[in-house]
Amino acid sequence: MSILDIDERILQVVELVDLRATPITDLKEPDETGVDVGILEGGINNTYNEEVARKMRERCKFLVALGDCAVFGGVPAMRNFVGVDAALRRAYIEAESNDEEGKIPSSPELAVMTRVRAVHEVVPVDLHIPGCPPDADVIFYALTELAQGRIPDIKDDKLHWH
Amino acid sequence: MIKLTIDDKTIEVQEGTTVLEAAEAAGVYVPTLCHHPQLTPYGGCRLCMVDVEGARTLQPSCTLPATDGMVVRTQSEKVLNARKFVLTLIFSERNHFCMYCPVSDGDCELQNRAYDEDMTHWDLQPNWQPFDVDASHPFIILDNNRCILCRRCVRACGELVGNYTLGFEERGADSLLVADYNVPLGESTCISCGTCVQICPTGALIDRQSAYQGKETEVDHHIGVCVECSVGCQRDVLTRDNRLVRIEGEWDAELNHGLLCDQGRFLPLEDDRSRLLTPLVRKNGSLKAATWEEALQAIASGLDQGDGLAALASTRLPVEDLALFKSVFADRLAAGLVTSLEEGQSTASLSALADKLGRPFEASLDALKDTGAVLALELDLVDEHQVAGFFIKRQLLDGTRLIVAGSSKNKLGEIAANTLALEPGKETPFLTQLLDAVKNGSEDQGVNDAVQSLKNAGKPCIVYGETFASHADEDALEALLGLADALGASLIGVKGQANSMAAAQLGLEAPFKADGFKSAFVLLGDEDPSQKLIKTLEAVPFVVAAAAYGSQLTGSADVVLPVTMWAEQSGTYLSLDGRSQQAVKALDAPEGVFTSQEAMLKLAEVLSIEPDLDWSAQLNARTPTAALQGA
Repeated sequence: MSILDIDERILQVVELVDLRATPITDLKEPDETGVDVGILEGGINNTYNEEVARKMRERCKFLVALGDCAVFGGVPAMRNFVGVDAALRRAYIEAESNDEEGKIPSSPELAVMTRVRAVHEVVPVDLHIPGCPPDADVIFYALTELAQGRIPDIKDDKLHWH
Repeated sequence: MIKLTIDDKTIEVQEGTTVLEAAEAAGVYVPTLCHHPQLTPYGGCRLCMVDVEGARTLQPSCTLPATDGMVVRTQSEKVLNARKFVLTLIFSERNHFCMYCPVSDGDCELQNRAYDEDMTHWDLQPNWQPFDVDASHPFIILDNNRCILCRRCVRACGELVGNYTLGFEERGADSLLVADYNVPLGESTCISCGTCVQICPTGALIDRQSAYQGKETEVDHHIGVCVECSVGCQRDVLTRDNRLVRIEGEWDAELNHGLLCDQGRFLPLEDDRSRLLTPLVRKNGSLKAATWEEALQAIASGLDQGDGLAALASTRLPVEDLALFKSVFADRLAAGLVTSLEEGQSTASLSALADKLGRPFEASLDALKDTGAVLALELDLVDEHQVAGFFIKRQLLDGTRLIVAGSSKNKLGEIAANTLALEPGKETPFLTQLLDAVKNGSEDQGVNDAVQSLKNAGKPCIVYGETFASHADEDALEALLGLADALGASLIGVKGQANSMAAAQLGLEAPFKADGFKSAFVLLGDEDPSQKLIKTLEAVPFVVAAAAYGSQLTGSADVVLPVTMWAEQSGTYLSLDGRSQQAVKALDAPEGVFTSQEAMLKLAEVLSIEPDLDWSAQLNARTPTAALQGA
């Protein structure tokens, strides 16, 4: 969602690209025939995220990890210090807001929670743009460079990890 | 001289220079983490690896001595890859997620080194091993999760401070920074000097007061002398939006090279005394808020001139203020008593000796940094003048002998090689006995050992403080000079508060007794009044207090003027060994609060007197105990 931080400049970006799919448009997945650039936000937290990452990798020539969650695991990765079981137990059973019948959801239809990973721990990533969140200016720079077929150089004042 | 080539630059350096130092001299930047200019090179982090022609592997430049004809490369692909790899290993070893950390964004050396190498991420999976966070200390939080095992803190604690509290337990990935034998830091032998926090390259040691309060990019720096005692350490006061954020020791300072004690670093930020923001005048028995004009008029009509007037000033104030104070009260108002709140306890007898000799007899504090033996006379450098104590403590493992003469309560005695009993008032026989033992030996084993250590050591020092100075009579001082002469020892008089010596130079040394004074003017500044002072002033019918904080004294005064505290004023300070240094204003004073100097100028105006503003001449008018530098 930090992409929206670039405000009205998003219109300039849209003019440069053929936007194929986003989580908020009708098409949620990139074309099976493949696209040039894919951008992933967020860490890999469960089996569904893994699937998405693999599909993105398959269909995108150039894959970007945007933001600290995608680059490092981010704040959700804090749960790795306690482990998946303890995190689930705390959330669904021990949390003060739960009643006595609290239980950990389990259904074959649900994704299974995993250790939180950076995207590059699951699939190869071509460009990392860290930041929590990355600056709007950095996002705009990266998007316009990519849209014009150049690989953005994330360094100096464009590089921060927090 | 040695000639070597670094990145195609040829440079000549002294033998014993490391490759890192040579690179610095050649203007070639080599990144480091475990290295610190104040510490012995360690070679722990491997970030400073360089390519040396003919060497089988990359070499750590911080520990590698430069040799003649050496050809060094710092920018080869091999070196750059090694740097990234070393950083990757460090980042993946523990919880080095920048977005969780208060020192992120410019304040973390680890992060800065990664930025230098244009690292957008690290390739290895992190090790998710959590460590306990130790938040037991009042000022310091120890978080092993952010530790990169560089051991800077451990080395600083030992090498610089001589306290040896911090150390490591376990090995490899389990290595744990611990205090003493792994006790909570708050219950350890830590003396809260904070050097470990200042030297930590990451957020493994942070101070509670400034965490999340402002990053390097958001704070203002004010570098000047510390005013908490007379050692005269240089420090940097960091502020943001007219608020104190943190105090750091100045690494480049000649004397303290970065060191401070808890009193200079942490305690000033803990001050919770209530601030005086408006003048107060006693009307019908109770203190009422008043304008400056009303307050000054009340002083003009209530304050006596001549013998009935006593004037006292804090030695925490700058020389400018003290000299003006003296000019107003001694020269213009001819007050019966003009003195400092210290009443010359730690200086009067010594100043008299300097007057008598017509020359300074005390050495620079630097003598304490390189001494073979120290005799501490009735002096406890553990609670006060601590940084001078660090200079001694850190040399003890190198064989420097510490001899403490004093009562059994002297804390410095706990780490001394010899302790000798010395009761206040018995200085003359004690020193005469030592002097005799230097010449003829002594049957007393303790005295004999002490004297032998002092005799055999290189560059011995004799240090003494207020207890000695206030009890020593002329004979004792003569014996002290004789002993120093016989041993070739340097004498160092540890004085009282920040401007103790300036007060002595201005002759503000008389004792304060309630000798029928009708009125008193107390220039308290931000000092806490002592119970003795409050008690003595009870007998004085009209008391004026110029103070930054409310106290029992201001509560019973007849007129109170609100003045600035240390951070709101600039001025000159004379350290215990005569170095003249500047304190620098870091905060704007609240509206309606003036510096002590401004308050006195206002008073002088109301009283229609013209004080002498040339303080430098006044300061140099008297023979100092230690040669004045820069005053």
